Amino acid sequence: MTLDFAIPTFSHFADALPNVIASGANPLAHVLDKESAISDFLGFKVKLSAVSIVACGALMFCILCIAAKRISTGPASEGTGRFLTKGRVSQIVEVLVQGLRDGMLEPLLGKATAAYYMPLLLSLFFFVLGMNLVGLIPIGDAQELGFAMSGAGHGNAAEDLIFFGGTATASISVTAGLALVSFFAMLFQAARELGVKGLFEHMCGGKELLYGPKGLLLVVPIIFVVEVLGLFIKPAALAIRLFANMLAGHTLLATIFMFTGMALTAGGWGLAAPIGVISIAFAVAISFLELFVAFLQAFVFMFLTAVFISMMSHHGEHAHEEGHGAHAH
Amino acid sequence: MATLVAASPLDFDLVGFTVALTVFLVFFALAAKFVWPKIAKGLDERYEKIRHEIESAEAASRKAIDAQAEFEKRLQDAREQSARMIEESREAARKIAADLVAKNEQELADMKLKAMQELEGAKEGAVRELNEHAISLASVMASKILRREVAANDQQRLVSESLAELGKSNKN
Repeated sequence: MTLDFAIPTFSHFADALPNVIASGANPLAHVLDKESAISDFLGFKVKLSAVSIVACGALMFCILCIAAKRISTGPASEGTGRFLTKGRVSQIVEVLVQGLRDGMLEPLLGKATAAYYMPLLLSLFFFVLGMNLVGLIPIGDAQELGFAMSGAGHGNAAEDLIFFGGTATASISVTAGLALVSFFAMLFQAARELGVKGLFEHMCGGKELLYGPKGLLLVVPIIFVVEVLGLFIKPAALAIRLFANMLAGHTLLATIFMFTGMALTAGGWGLAAPIGVISIAFAVAISFLELFVAFLQAFVFMFLTAVFISMMSHHGEHAHEEGHGAHAH
Repeated sequence: MATLVAASPLDFDLVGFTVALTVFLVFFALAAKFVWPKIAKGLDERYEKIRHEIESAEAASRKAIDAQAEFEKRLQDAREQSARMIEESREAARKIAADLVAKNEQELADMKLKAMQELEGAKEGAVRELNEHAISLASVMASKILRREVAANDQQRLVSESLAELGKSNKN
């Protein structure tokens, strides 16, 4: 594919917009993973989600590096201002890290375990958050509109020319990859804290069942099966929860914009304009909700990973057993 | 229409899965090496410095309170000491004044006694002189009466006897 760009004008914009809006007639197709235009340059198929993951990872790493440099105490000559982190983004990173570490990870895991797993858990949080937030920016749509206006691609659909964009976490493949990390983190903690024998005892319902009254041994196979299933269901639930939430939000946004496309097809701009204004108003409101969801889902993914890790410890085992006891009551 | 790689949202793509896993592991490795230790260190150092500042401020506050208490104690001591000194000064002044009065009275008494003694001496001299004059007059009168002159030695003897008699008579 060769790209031939023309300088866009307002008339180009007016011509391209209806096509772009109309291309979103299927909202689900709009949010599904597509092939990136980079594939044509690389010679093999690369998906938008893959390019977005690399871009988001690199962007988030750069942001965190800058924040890490700025989260420090300045010289005494700055007065009380030396305790303040410079830069808004760095301050947000600081607040998030401190809040998650002091307010959640340390109370949940204990200081030593929290310090051990903090790099992994915070990496998960910021990685997922980065992809969620970048997904809120209509980068793909902007590229599509830009290519449609410039007439690049020699007859190719503008949608086929998107290099990167979309929400990577709206892909089950991506969230499954991240959930696999949680799965191995759970197993690692179990091996580290309980050992192989301890993990086996844990999977069988604990020492009370294994070495207690012989009659209780009858339920051990059932508990073992449930625990083994749980070991896989927990990360699967993580993957599905994140993917479903992000996909649902973006599908909702695409559906709201679809109304404008439908109105444009049915009655032209006269009908599409007022519906477009209403759609934009709703989309802005939903976008604020999506912004919250982006943070919430990143937090939930990390929090549940931390909970699963904490369950794979002596403390977690007791809590787990107490939990079982409470359920029994 | 766009080229859809996934026909359904639930279609699993092994390449996407591998890319996500690989990119995250690289991100985690880099962040664990270059980001999180630095941020944790920065936060801990800041916490320690703020805690140190608060402790220093509290220590300075305690020191200031102690210094104020010490100052007030010293001020109270100084007030008591000055009151005591004033009382002692008053007492000393009263004593000095009493001594001066007593000394003055003594001096006055001495002067009075001396004046009385001098007066007594002057009186005795005057009386003696008067007696001598009286005797002289008496002698003159007696000589005139007797018409004869009394010799000078007789006159002197007569004067001495008269004075002795006069003295006796005064003592009596």
